[in-house]
Amino acid sequence: MSRTLGRTQAVAVVAAGVATPLGLDLDTFWSALCTGVDGISAIERFRVDDLRVGRGGEIKKLRTLRHGRLPRCRASALLLLAADDLLARAALTADPARVAVVVGTALGGVEEGERALGEGGVRAAAGGLYDSPAQALAERLAARGPVLTVSTACASGATAMGVGADLLAANAADLVVAGGYDVLCRFVMRGFDALRSLTRERVRPFDRRRSGLLLGEGAALVLLARDADAPRVRLGRLLGHASSSDGSHVAAPDPEGRGLEHAVRGALAAAGVGGEAVDFVSAHGTGTPLNDKIETAVLRRVLGGRAGAVPVNSIKGALGHSMGAAATLEAIMCLLASRDGVVPGTAGYEEADPACELDVRGVARAARPRVSLSTSLGFGGCNAALVLEGTS
Amino acid sequence: MTRVLGVGLLTGWGAGVAALPEDARRAAGERRVVTAATPPLAGERFRRATRECLLGVAAVEAALRESGLDRAAVAGPRTALVYVTAAAYGASNYAFIGAETARPARAEGGLSEMRSGSALYFPYTAPSAVPAEVAIEYGLTGGYVILVGGAAAAVDALWQAGTLLTAGRADTALVLAVETFEECAARWTTPRPLVEAAACAVLRGGGELEYGPGDASALETLVARRAGETLACGPLVGLALARAAGAPRARVTGRWRGRRAQIALAT
Repeated sequence: MSRTLGRTQAVAVVAAGVATPLGLDLDTFWSALCTGVDGISAIERFRVDDLRVGRGGEIKKLRTLRHGRLPRCRASALLLLAADDLLARAALTADPARVAVVVGTALGGVEEGERALGEGGVRAAAGGLYDSPAQALAERLAARGPVLTVSTACASGATAMGVGADLLAANAADLVVAGGYDVLCRFVMRGFDALRSLTRERVRPFDRRRSGLLLGEGAALVLLARDADAPRVRLGRLLGHASSSDGSHVAAPDPEGRGLEHAVRGALAAAGVGGEAVDFVSAHGTGTPLNDKIETAVLRRVLGGRAGAVPVNSIKGALGHSMGAAATLEAIMCLLASRDGVVPGTAGYEEADPACELDVRGVARAARPRVSLSTSLGFGGCNAALVLEGTS
Repeated sequence: MTRVLGVGLLTGWGAGVAALPEDARRAAGERRVVTAATPPLAGERFRRATRECLLGVAAVEAALRESGLDRAAVAGPRTALVYVTAAAYGASNYAFIGAETARPARAEGGLSEMRSGSALYFPYTAPSAVPAEVAIEYGLTGGYVILVGGAAAAVDALWQAGTLLTAGRADTALVLAVETFEECAARWTTPRPLVEAAACAVLRGGGELEYGPGDASALETLVARRAGETLACGPLVGLALARAAGAPRARVTGRWRGRRAQIALAT
């Protein structure tokens, strides 16, 4: 094996597809991000009147697929919509036995389990298995290679892209459809509402007045291929990735951010670059007082003296925290920023916080990052980081 | 070649391969689920931990003992943790849902019905809760991957651990699988006895990994006969059986949702 120890082989990100509250295709999503469209609204699809907070990034209406019907399971439906968008931009040109699917999720098909228990008991709840939506996606893609479901909570979309890159490096597949998804459902709203993690105000990542997050839903997929095998026209490359555990708390991040820092440094090392190479950071940026402060401290340690000059954003102010989909959406955003020379603003950001001294802006700005860093954290002390290179 | 230093194994039959019956189906009799005993881990640290978490922690303890390693040898960022399960989140999920639908799932061990449905236990509905408790207990802060699926996913987990070792991203990797069924037994339709289990393999070393699709191995058949249906734990049970038989190398396979994966490891 001819790789440098610790380095990961860069893989091409050939194309992407999304389903989000900001739009059910990549172009609409990107346009909305750049122009500051607000994807947060009152939740209408299920009962929220008994919860403290009833808003989120809900997709109001699903479109039809170009081929086939949407399944009843909303998680699978969102994945298939993202795949539909992806396949409109790139074809799966490999032997189906060499096409892998790796998707991340925090909740899987839990809404199906929730529905089944409400309707008729535990036997009907098979659809609630967390890996059911990935199987639905593989079937729709006719992919017969490895089908993996990753569940590193809200870091799942990043971990899935990393595992997908590893499959390519190991020659276990020639193409990988990787990404993440999650749905807004009563299960997760009840949980976060009771934990008092949700804000009754606007989501304001890195803002002095930030008071919590709002959840969202969506799906995001990328088509990965080995660099040498990929077409010249592509979104960019995944240069490196790494994950880590905090080993400190089941639900809260390590207060010093040591796990996140380890993941970030690992991803940079895997990419063969240092902090000085980072042109842009897509932060996890949930808008909770603790998360954003911890991330700031980690970024300041990693970026050093450049920390105040490197553009940082969080797109969770615009579409909520879409959990398993978030990291993949953010990775895609990094590559689109490189392509178009625009870094979307951080919706809700207005007042600087001395505890979050980073270059965050509320509106989009002209910048064309070559190397981007994307950070993710999740329940269970999950951390993941991606280093991406765009094409300009 | 990536090698297995040791395998910790707890099943509904007891601890280690010596506890496995010759014929799991016959030994199970009329039992649909062979329940694993809840490890006696007490104290404030585990006050909210689910039965699955306790099984995971105990399996790692057994694996370290089998490997001749102490906790200090795995603490820190150079040990990766890869966790896999097909079912072990079911009990906490259904308890949380059941708390609202007034059809609470039957919970045993460290989690009562009312407690499991409360907000403080919401984080324990995530599959990441089990490896989180393990990481906290043993101070593991290295590479961290969590896969959901049955035996094929466990083979994927072994591959992922081998990849982390081969790439130099870890010096030691723990592959942990936990499966519990008691609280949601009715949803499973597999014909063999469902046998609760927690298994952990300690891996070291790197090199090319023989990983991919493959036919069922003799070990897979042996695991089914001796252990019963343990889903994601199956390939790790296979490694434990191979080591107990003194085999220098094992080809373990696992099937899930129509896909079978295989990997070869030095045992």
